[in-house]
Amino acid sequence: MSDASSTALESKNPKNSKDQNRMSDDKDTNLTVPDNLPGISSWKKRRHLLDTKDLSVEEVEALITVAKLCKDIHSKGRAPLTVLSHKVVANLFYENSTRTRSSFELAARKLGASVLNLDIRMSSVAKGETIEDTARTLVSMGVDAVVQRHSSSGSAHKLAELLKDEVHVLNAGDGWNAHPTQALLDLFSMQETGKSIKGRKVAIIGDITHSRVARSNIWLLQKLGAEIHVAGPPTLVPVQLDTFGVTVHERLDPAIKDADFVIALRLQLERQDEGLIPSIGEYKRLYRLDHERIKRCKPDVRVLHPGPVNRGIEITDDLVDDNKVSLVNLQVANGIAVRMAVLYLLMFDESDEG
Amino acid sequence: MQSAILIKNGRVINPTDASGKASSSLANNQSLDLRIRDGKIVELESDLKVKDNETVVDAGGCWVMPGFVDMHTHLRDLGQADREDISTGTHAAAAGGYTTVVAMANTDPATDCAEILDRIIKRIHEHAIVEVLPVAAVTKGLKGVELTNMVEMSDMGAIAFSDDGMPISNLDVLRRALEYARLHGRPIISHPEDRDLSHGGSMNEGMQSTCLGMKGIPSASEAACVAREIEVLRYTGGRLHFAHTSAKASIDLIRQAKAQGLNVTADATPHHLVLSDAEMTPYDTSFKMNPPLRSKQDVEAIEQGLMEGVIDAIATDHAPHSKLDKSKPFDHAPFGIIGLETAFSLCFEKLVLSGKMAPNKFLALITTHPAKILGIAAPQIAVEARANIAIVDPEMRWHFEIAESHSKSKNSPFTGRSLKGKNLITIFNGKIVYLDKERAGKRVPEVCATLK
Repeated sequence: MSDASSTALESKNPKNSKDQNRMSDDKDTNLTVPDNLPGISSWKKRRHLLDTKDLSVEEVEALITVAKLCKDIHSKGRAPLTVLSHKVVANLFYENSTRTRSSFELAARKLGASVLNLDIRMSSVAKGETIEDTARTLVSMGVDAVVQRHSSSGSAHKLAELLKDEVHVLNAGDGWNAHPTQALLDLFSMQETGKSIKGRKVAIIGDITHSRVARSNIWLLQKLGAEIHVAGPPTLVPVQLDTFGVTVHERLDPAIKDADFVIALRLQLERQDEGLIPSIGEYKRLYRLDHERIKRCKPDVRVLHPGPVNRGIEITDDLVDDNKVSLVNLQVANGIAVRMAVLYLLMFDESDEG
Repeated sequence: MQSAILIKNGRVINPTDASGKASSSLANNQSLDLRIRDGKIVELESDLKVKDNETVVDAGGCWVMPGFVDMHTHLRDLGQADREDISTGTHAAAAGGYTTVVAMANTDPATDCAEILDRIIKRIHEHAIVEVLPVAAVTKGLKGVELTNMVEMSDMGAIAFSDDGMPISNLDVLRRALEYARLHGRPIISHPEDRDLSHGGSMNEGMQSTCLGMKGIPSASEAACVAREIEVLRYTGGRLHFAHTSAKASIDLIRQAKAQGLNVTADATPHHLVLSDAEMTPYDTSFKMNPPLRSKQDVEAIEQGLMEGVIDAIATDHAPHSKLDKSKPFDHAPFGIIGLETAFSLCFEKLVLSGKMAPNKFLALITTHPAKILGIAAPQIAVEARANIAIVDPEMRWHFEIAESHSKSKNSPFTGRSLKGKNLITIFNGKIVYLDKERAGKRVPEVCATLK
């Protein structure tokens, strides 16, 4: 590293000609993350990203700064970089999720890492050995980071505990508990509208109980000073949520009144079979977001959805596709930038660059 | 060897009786020596002289108490030897000061007929180092449908009847069981849980489950079951014991039922008395048990219930599980923790050292009260009483280290916990069955020398 006061996030020695053509201006390929950015030192000490609960505000701000840099590189077509070119990232998905997995995969590849995709059938989870055995296998293989998606809450914590300091664990969703990169990309997308989050009203609508997206957003956005309101069928809102400083509404209208941001959650259709809602029709009647209903929000309200959208159920077709209001497409693009930033901050090690 | 034992310099503590009164005829809080011969206490006086061939136990600074009775353990024998067996389970019991344990019927296969009970009784004779009293199932295969041959099994030695682990959800079956129980007079032990309300849950439903993103088990799943079973009992008569009560609402219902004169009794576990769900290590399966750790208000209600006598006994619900099973993710791991070795110290610290309860009243919760419910002789330190004795140093601070546990299983939330009050020596039927060699070896040098 030439500049001791900064950490390089750069493209070096691109191997294929296509990249060489793109990077005609060598100066453009050097992007630097200032070392004196508050929060960077905490990221250097951090091994894993399991939850948004234990992230400090400085860490979140540093991550957003790096995500912006990544997005810039990405949008200018200057990735893949080589900062993680000697690293291996394993995608360990016990639950299907093409979107999140692809997003992590692209993010890792854009930083030059090798990616290993492991899909494990849920049927073997109940046998018990899986998490521990898979963890040991991955350590033996010399994997540097594991991106895990699993249906059990706490499974990412368990993996981190098993792998200790050997491998970075990135939680790509554990049960109902946490999906930290989703919340971080939601935050990034909200901030890109030009609004700061402090004092803003954020409404989260739908099945809160089973939602790791809702939990991770609540812990993260509260930390940054947002006022969180939720609304959903009383059968799908967890008990005592109000004790965490969240305002719980039963009906949609008071929850979204004067809201700056509205996050619509995906309704798993099996909730009807489980007897938690009487029918999808009744759900739509009570909680579906449309242009008419969001008139109660602030005029410049933005609507988010973690995807994949059940069009016409939690949100109308027209509203999802209304780019003046909907941030859905932006969220997908920002997901890659945020995941690049997380991978970079957890894995980039100056001493390896020598 | 060990034909006669002389326990010197200890302080004799006898429990209060089943009605909560200290007996005027029994020694309490007195420094007395005990001579034990042929499995009985034969002398109880100050300054007894050592006779030839007597093993002397120096109990200076210790409390000498009747051995404890645990009315709820899972010894996993038959069929689950990867978790525990009668030998390891009774060694754990002896280490905890227990000389009588009641073994639940959810063995594999279930203890639901004479043949199985006979096999278990034979295994108890061969392998137990303290008394094991087997429970038999109320219904065949613990399925909650057909009653077992309760009278036949009662005659063989079944101490009580319970489908513990699998609550009887059909109230008509419970009704018939309570009625039929008149023929044998043994208690029916209920595991109060509405399985629909608790379905799929793995911890208490409350702030913590909301925070951790876990499906909860509402306290109403226990209390609703207690309420309806009390109403069945009110109709049928007879008696019913509620195991491991954990929720304030259940305890309130039991208090009310007792006040109305119904023959109900209840126990609570040490872990529900000392831990709330706020004290769980998140996602650590050593904190997963059924019923789950409840809220702080529930923990206070258990303490209050024990103080008032609404909850009659403390029982461990010692439930060993293999490391493999407990290494599953929290929601897939089985319920249950081991508890025989930590029970006394945890409750002693919480109730006695805190100054809330007199030693003899506390001791009754793990001796005379469960004995009364089970219909066995009241454990006591008295001449002619069976020499079942726990010798405890009430001042000793110690750390429970799971590696030193006698149980085959290691699923305890109290690993590494600092505890006060340590059982050092356990005597069963006049024989030393447990000696904490490291902490108390010098108290009985000749026995210590014979140990590994």
